[in-house]
Amino acid sequence: MKNQLFKVSLLAMLVTITSACTFDGDDGAVGATGATGAVGPAGADGADGIDGIDGIDGEDGAPGTNGNSAVYTVHFTNLTYNQPMSPAAVILHEPGYHAFTDGEVASVGIEMLAEAADPVMLISEASASANYLDSTTTSGGTNPRSTSSTATLIVPDLDVDNLRLSFASMLGNTNDGFTGLNAMDVSSMTVGQSTSFMAPTWDAGTEANLESASTVPGPAASAAGGGGAAAGFNAARDDLFDRVHFHRGIVSNANVTDASLEGLSTSVLDESHRWNNPTAKITITRTR
Amino acid sequence: MKLTKLASAAILAMAASGSANAVVVDVEITNLTHAQTFTPRLVIAHDATYDAFEPGQDASTALAWLAEAGVIDDAQNADSSGQNFEAELGPVDTDNGANTWHRFGGTLGPSASLSYPFDTMDKPYLSLLTMLVPTNDAFAGLDSIEIPTTPGTYSYTLHAYDAGTELNDEINSTRTDVVEAGTGNALGGYGLPGVAGVGASPVPLGDGGTGVGALIENGELEDGTDGPVHIHRGILGDTSLTGGASDLDSTAHRWLNPVARVTITVPAS
Repeated sequence: MKNQLFKVSLLAMLVTITSACTFDGDDGAVGATGATGAVGPAGADGADGIDGIDGIDGEDGAPGTNGNSAVYTVHFTNLTYNQPMSPAAVILHEPGYHAFTDGEVASVGIEMLAEAADPVMLISEASASANYLDSTTTSGGTNPRSTSSTATLIVPDLDVDNLRLSFASMLGNTNDGFTGLNAMDVSSMTVGQSTSFMAPTWDAGTEANLESASTVPGPAASAAGGGGAAAGFNAARDDLFDRVHFHRGIVSNANVTDASLEGLSTSVLDESHRWNNPTAKITITRTR
Repeated sequence: MKLTKLASAAILAMAASGSANAVVVDVEITNLTHAQTFTPRLVIAHDATYDAFEPGQDASTALAWLAEAGVIDDAQNADSSGQNFEAELGPVDTDNGANTWHRFGGTLGPSASLSYPFDTMDKPYLSLLTMLVPTNDAFAGLDSIEIPTTPGTYSYTLHAYDAGTELNDEINSTRTDVVEAGTGNALGGYGLPGVAGVGASPVPLGDGGTGVGALIENGELEDGTDGPVHIHRGILGDTSLTGGASDLDSTAHRWLNPVARVTITVPAS
């Protein structure tokens, strides 16, 4: 708008100067005032105004109460090359509970976990113990060379100073092999503290290690036309000794034809299913 | 809660002041295997921001160089320049902020021990890596242990990991009847199939195997991967020098974990 006014006044000045420069003869009558010039084009719009300042953040809410509970998360990495692992049973407890004991007969819960990849009964057995605090399972299976989902457990603050972690997960391409932790001491962890354990592999002793399509539930047996639930839990205890012991590893069908003849021709497992301990890295973190 | 936080802050402050004096620790390593030789050892002192390897995570190119060829720095192999641990970590024997490192040279045979002084330059964690030969890409790893500060002797056992950067074909890399698929390159070393370090083996390797984790097809061997990093499933081997699946010897080259012991001695100050 200012621009437009300025242009109009400039035009008026020019008209004045022109009329002041005439000398010949008498001045004639003042001519009629010329028509008003056309209005000039509209000027450009002005710049936008500056945004207003944001309002001040509201105040933080009051801290929630934790009910005097400590919270832990547990996850694990499957360290094997080709053994998928079952949903894991994760149990926090006080000293006195044992999911299994070397050289003793396995519970049916351990048998279900180690033969059928099912942690539910083991958790149910644990919860019946007087020393039980909390338990859960990791969500779904955990593939070889990968990390599991995270499980969260809550125990009373009072029990933090004398706490044990037990853990079990089946190696899927075995008859009754499982990796685990047996009452590891995780007492007096501070909030934010993490501890890791490298876990070996046990044989539940509840099933002969035939390595066959009809006795191994995992994908190696499925590929050979067996596997699955039908090859999972079998109540018969047909291992050499019905005792939990350290797993000797699988034989596999490798080296069936070389001079060593050490391969097991009836095995549906191959060299890729072998492992060396440890088979799992388990990490517990206290988060509250 | 507030009390706990104050207490842990106090502990941190004490730890910080306690490590203010640079400590030269003694690092001893013992090869616990029957017939696997260790390549030169990479020893790294570092802070929490650095991780040379992690099970379940893919190996870095630097780790692939170490695990497939035993190479840590440019001086060992100029072709590794820009890709090796020297490139990943910074100059040797220098306080690189997040780390300081040294290559302890020479090979370490089965049942042998060596010890060396190592200046940790106040870094809180220690990692140690060394390749096992003859293998495709196996390495023994000490994974970020907290460096002890109280004078004394501390012992750790190391597992053999598979870097996952090369299929475990278990094929003798001195063989001339087999080449890398696609390129026709000779076997052995970084980025090539075949087991490295054949010459270090105290027992002979075969030369007629058909392949284990990868099979020879028409005289060619694939250079595939089998990662991420995991615990090595061990050597299969066989007992035939002229046939079978593997060129490694099942009666000699196998191992069970642990494969090494590291003993750290913190001197009295």
